[in-house]
Amino acid sequence: MRAKARFYPKEAARLLKERPGVREAVTGATLHFERNRLRAYAEVPIEEWRERAKAIKDHVLSHLDRYLEEAERRLLEKGARVHWAEGPEEAHQVLLEIVRRRGVRRAVKAKSMLTEELGVNPFLESLGVEVFETDLGEYLIQLLKEPPSHIVGPAIHLSLEEIRRLFHERFGTPLEASPEALAGVARKVLREAFLTADLGISGANFLVAETGTLALMENEGNIRLSTSLPRVHVAFVGLEKLLPRLSDLALFLPLTARAATGQRLSTYVSLLGGPAKEGEEGPEEVHVVLVDHGRTALLADPEAWETLRCLRCGACLNACPVYRQTGGHPYGYVYSGPIGAVLDPGLLSLEEAYPLPYASTLCGACLEACPVKIPIPRLLLTWRHRAVAEGLTPGWEKTAMAAFRKVMESPALYRLFSKALRGLPLPQDLLPLLRAWTEGRGALRPSPKPFHELWREMEEDRGRQN
Amino acid sequence: MDARTRILSRVKRALKDRPKAELPGPPHPAPLPDPLELFLRRLEENGGEGRLMRREEVRSFLEALAQGFSGAALGRTLPLDLRPPLPELPPEEAPLGVSYALFAVAETGSVALSSEEGRKVHLLPPTHLVFVEAERVYGTLAEALASLEALPTALGLHSGPSKSADIGQVMVKGVHGPGRLLVAVLT
Amino acid sequence: MRVALFITCLADQFYAEAGVAAVRLLRALGVEVDFPEGQTCCGQPAFNAGHWEEARALARRTLRVFQEAEYVVLPSGSCASMLRNHYPELLPGSREALAFSERVYELSQFLVRVLGVERLGEGLKGVRVAYHHGCHALRELGVREEPLTLLTNAGAEVLPWEAAEECCGFGGLFSVKLPEVSLAMADRKLSTLPAAQVLTSTDAGCLLHLSGRMAKSGVNLRVAPLATLLWEAYAG
Repeated sequence: MRAKARFYPKEAARLLKERPGVREAVTGATLHFERNRLRAYAEVPIEEWRERAKAIKDHVLSHLDRYLEEAERRLLEKGARVHWAEGPEEAHQVLLEIVRRRGVRRAVKAKSMLTEELGVNPFLESLGVEVFETDLGEYLIQLLKEPPSHIVGPAIHLSLEEIRRLFHERFGTPLEASPEALAGVARKVLREAFLTADLGISGANFLVAETGTLALMENEGNIRLSTSLPRVHVAFVGLEKLLPRLSDLALFLPLTARAATGQRLSTYVSLLGGPAKEGEEGPEEVHVVLVDHGRTALLADPEAWETLRCLRCGACLNACPVYRQTGGHPYGYVYSGPIGAVLDPGLLSLEEAYPLPYASTLCGACLEACPVKIPIPRLLLTWRHRAVAEGLTPGWEKTAMAAFRKVMESPALYRLFSKALRGLPLPQDLLPLLRAWTEGRGALRPSPKPFHELWREMEEDRGRQN
Repeated sequence: MDARTRILSRVKRALKDRPKAELPGPPHPAPLPDPLELFLRRLEENGGEGRLMRREEVRSFLEALAQGFSGAALGRTLPLDLRPPLPELPPEEAPLGVSYALFAVAETGSVALSSEEGRKVHLLPPTHLVFVEAERVYGTLAEALASLEALPTALGLHSGPSKSADIGQVMVKGVHGPGRLLVAVLT
Repeated sequence: MRVALFITCLADQFYAEAGVAAVRLLRALGVEVDFPEGQTCCGQPAFNAGHWEEARALARRTLRVFQEAEYVVLPSGSCASMLRNHYPELLPGSREALAFSERVYELSQFLVRVLGVERLGEGLKGVRVAYHHGCHALRELGVREEPLTLLTNAGAEVLPWEAAEECCGFGGLFSVKLPEVSLAMADRKLSTLPAAQVLTSTDAGCLLHLSGRMAKSGVNLRVAPLATLLWEAYAG
């Protein structure tokens, strides 16, 4: 996917103005997720769970080479084929070889953010393969040719009305069709696709090194179908998805479900270990593609490496009051919301993702929600500091900050500024900032006298009284 | 140099000076007191339907159930006495799938289904009936995973009917998988 | 006991009377209050925007200005958190910053945790209050119950508010860098406002932002910093 993260401020403003319904839909959906998460966290010793999950992930990440090799070994033993990909190019090569060799015409795809990064769909389509996104939400946005708006709920920005209109135009369903009826239509189309596809594509929530097991979580059954019915299954797995032991799934599966949707476990969990044995139902070929695409660079980052703990649960998006206003599209890359703001600069480059670390008020709600305690607010500050150090911030900001420092370093200048605020003309540099403030909030009204003057008066009064 | 070598060498380089974090030992959760009761409650909260059943009740249960279906797809490991008196149909056509779980997990209200049984039978029919032996109902997922001697090629944990709220945040059942999940715990 | 008041630049300019209220209240409770006159801004706007050089200069300055203080009390959760949590990060290895950070308190936090005062008087009897939890007070300082206890014990009715703990959208420079999003956040917050007689918070920035937005949308509601209400609680 091509990143448009640079346009975040403009895109956020445009979306608020042009598609006010998105704000309503996203706010409603995220608040719903958030309430469920809070209830689900309250039911278990969540602090212990989070600490433990963080410790396990930190262990994996600090021994990543060892676990990658172990996972590869186990997968090979089970008859899976393992590929390594730096990025889209090598990932596409794997697909190209399979498509040619097996004569693939139709692919069913389970939701995967990594395949968004790799541009899997456009590539397959360029080969003439018909690709069906099979997660219901993902299917909706595929019909609309939109990217996902949320890690877990890709279509949460769409209202029921919009979906009704879409199905009316595409499938001729009545404009007042119920969600059940609409889902029924999609089910029919996709069931046919499952039964006829030659290739199933998925991501993975976890890859267990000890057993070479892929773990996938979902609620609809589309992942189970996509990885069971077609003759070939390709799973794209980010390097950070490893877990050491099978027993670790007993923590990570429920923790992810509670964080993501407030469920005790997602409705379906698939634990997959290679191609079907003789006489078994299931894919004849299983390919696991281990993908870097920026992850080793993040691993080398002395601070941002902590983002590699991310489970892609979306809890920080749901908790984020900034994300709630716009959904994910304005962020301009696969990962949006708080995690996107600290992950994207590492996966892309800070220059390309520069405004994203500023898409936050530093309110800290994301950190409270994160099941693996990624210090998102601190990392936002780190990226901002780097942006300043690399000279990415706009000229006016640099001037304003230099002026700010000058004023605040000198009580005399500060007092002069204080007078200026009460009548004298203000420095020109401040005017654009003032305008941005007053347009939505009216004129700034300072107290008649600043406190430092009132203090002197109070002290004088006290002096007189004594 | 191939991608594998390049990637692994970058990983090694990145970790050269990184302090190694220790791996915490596996947790030892206390066994839950009454897993059967909890399993049924949690399954129901997930939207599934569960009941305890004595082996001798199975026959009459299946006979009653068979009234509502024209045929069934059967899991390959389903014992003979758990087969409904219905014509066997391929999973693509069957209105009912009947299978035999490896185990169940109380805390999450889940049944575990092995690929040794097949896979379509678990997913394609709109109603899915699962039998599980009471002694295979574990309190926690940790206990259940620890009990496994070997993993099947594919293990599916099913914790309720297939569902989605992707259309306007309204919960819809039976989106791709079965819209009904019935579990009979054999005592 | 002796306290140095750090009024913070925003309260100094926009909520000066809250400073007066804080001084009166602390003195009434038997605390001696100083106001080091060299104080300006804690540097948070620069720090949060990534301009750490500028922020560091102001942090060093603030440490100097308040070096004599036994306690530093601020009528702001956000600035208190800057001093308490971020100065030690900004000045790594500085023992002075670390020692200083432990002497810093937001006003209500100081009253309850240091002075052990939970009852100020009954001056807020029957007043219906909407309390906005400033994010840094709440999540960085852990100040959740203190303001509520002080208000409730003074007879105020703190109304349930669905969005009480949600960010208002101020966020310092955020409010002018992303004004549309900032305003949408204020609107979401205000759309859930309960039928209160006064809206209060520990933080001047949030109040300035919310009151400005209310004025613009024609909502007429008294907005008062927590310090002002706490003085009213005491003085009646």
